[in-house]
Amino acid sequence: MVNRPRDWVYVFGILLALGLLPLAQPSEYVLSFLYFLFSYAAMAVAWNVLGGFGGYLSFGHVTFFGTGAYVTGLMLVHWGWSPLITAPLGGLAAALLALVIGYPTLRLRGPYFTVVTVVTVLIAKIVVLNVPLTGAAMGLWMPFPPWDPFTSRVIFYEAVLVLLLAALLMARWVQHAKFGFGLRVIREDEDAAAAIGVPAFRLKLGALLLSAFVCGMVGAVHGYDRSYLHPDFMFDLHPSIMMVLMALFGGRDHWLGPLVGAVAVMITDELLTVYVGTEAARMLFGLLLIIVVLFLPEGVISLRLPKKPPRAAAAGEGVSSP
Amino acid sequence: MLVEVVQAVVTGLLIGLTFAVLAVGFSLIWGTTGVVNIAHSAFAVLAAFLSLVASRQWGLDPIAALVGLVPLFFILGVVLHEVLIKVAARRTKELGLASMIFTFGLASFMENGMAYVWGPGPRVLNTAYTGAAVHLLGISIPLTHAYGALLGLATIGLLYGFLYHTFPGKAVRAVWQQRDGAALCGIPLHRVTALTYGVSIASASVAGVAMALIYSFTPATYMVWLVNVFLIVIVGGVGSLLGAAAAGLIVGLVSSLSVLVMPFVWTNLALFGLLILVLLVRPSGLLKR
Repeated sequence: MVNRPRDWVYVFGILLALGLLPLAQPSEYVLSFLYFLFSYAAMAVAWNVLGGFGGYLSFGHVTFFGTGAYVTGLMLVHWGWSPLITAPLGGLAAALLALVIGYPTLRLRGPYFTVVTVVTVLIAKIVVLNVPLTGAAMGLWMPFPPWDPFTSRVIFYEAVLVLLLAALLMARWVQHAKFGFGLRVIREDEDAAAAIGVPAFRLKLGALLLSAFVCGMVGAVHGYDRSYLHPDFMFDLHPSIMMVLMALFGGRDHWLGPLVGAVAVMITDELLTVYVGTEAARMLFGLLLIIVVLFLPEGVISLRLPKKPPRAAAAGEGVSSP
Repeated sequence: MLVEVVQAVVTGLLIGLTFAVLAVGFSLIWGTTGVVNIAHSAFAVLAAFLSLVASRQWGLDPIAALVGLVPLFFILGVVLHEVLIKVAARRTKELGLASMIFTFGLASFMENGMAYVWGPGPRVLNTAYTGAAVHLLGISIPLTHAYGALLGLATIGLLYGFLYHTFPGKAVRAVWQQRDGAALCGIPLHRVTALTYGVSIASASVAGVAMALIYSFTPATYMVWLVNVFLIVIVGGVGSLLGAAAAGLIVGLVSSLSVLVMPFVWTNLALFGLLILVLLVRPSGLLKR
């Protein structure tokens, strides 16, 4: 991977500039679209730490999203604490759940781990649907945010933008730290990684906790924005699938990939849903998923980054030509 | 109490057989080619919808509709292999994980296609014998359950005959046991795997009809069926026909017996718990040799 030190200057510059966007009094539609884009992007970037760098495919991250939403929602209902302030606690609760889930299951590999992640979503949904504390099938009603509609859109917009920035900084740090190198070695060959002294289990667990923490915080903000929580949409597989699609589409080997993927997927999704309808849009996404995995396994971002550093490419050719 | 237990055991075994037939094809593909075919149960749901159309349009009994469905799904399976799986096997490094993603894309394509054509609401397959039951020693067996289980039993029997007593079937098992070894013995891998996909998807169509006799279904039902399939395959061991059959019976029994001791909403939890427990204790399957 070629280092392009200025990429991150552009990216963070654009995102900080977007933070000033509300001053221009944009329509609530624009703010709301970008709000969804940023929250999905933050989760996809976080998902990528385990799923992309580590190669442990999880369809279960929506569990952490829902956990964050419910924990902070309950704090608001019972104690009157604003989820915007307790969001880190929601993240911590999600990370704690990730520890409980991950400690036994991260020993599983490949498809087996993925199956368990799907099952955790289904279990979480059943539990939340049948426990009185969470409002069960009635759902959890929270007090509305105390602002007028435009102000509240701006506040939630800024909140997820901050989360996205934090997620990007975290992913960028992981990628360049020993942590990220270890994760990628695990993805390539876990037994070899363990043999050369990479603490595989600790790294995987760390990656899971970090990504769960971010998803829990996004869930906290999102739950407050909805003001009503129900397991049918807080523990739905669809957001999990979107995270995976965004990360894979953008490119899972770079911290920026999921953000690129999120922008592309959200814009396509919005256009398709508006002009051809939900079912046709989701059919096209299914096809897109097939095409990306088969023909663009390193994601869209690989079109911009050179595949190999020039010298290594030249050396490679030297070896292969007789 | 005894009657209730016997009733639960009988129902569990009948349901277990229909689930088993859904699982065997999935298990066969996973075992022979390493592909985790998420779309397997989506094919079953498609067969359910097509049999519904056949019975609405031409008044065909769903079981009679299988005469057309089985060859059609055999061809679909071969096409799936030729168009997607061969390309994927050539282009991806880790077929297990990559296949989970792109067959998921296929399943989501099929789900939304079915929702587009037939609508997302639940459907019920009505037959001449829906609602009828056989009463025997105080227990009652709905005819739909009985026919579903018989279909399952017949399909598993046929598959057993195919895999253990015919030459192409033995080739399929050889590829499952040792891919390179089978190739060295002169077994044409591509033709054998194409055959495996045909047989597997054809068995999915039988399973879809058998399940539709018993349960209502929507385009999204494939996810629910898939979880049961995973459970059965993991308990039975990947690639094993008899393991899947036995595990199907176990899963059917657990789900019907757990209704006796806990509220209905928690029974799925018992199954999921069983799945995770088996994975953690013996990831290669409880029943595998």
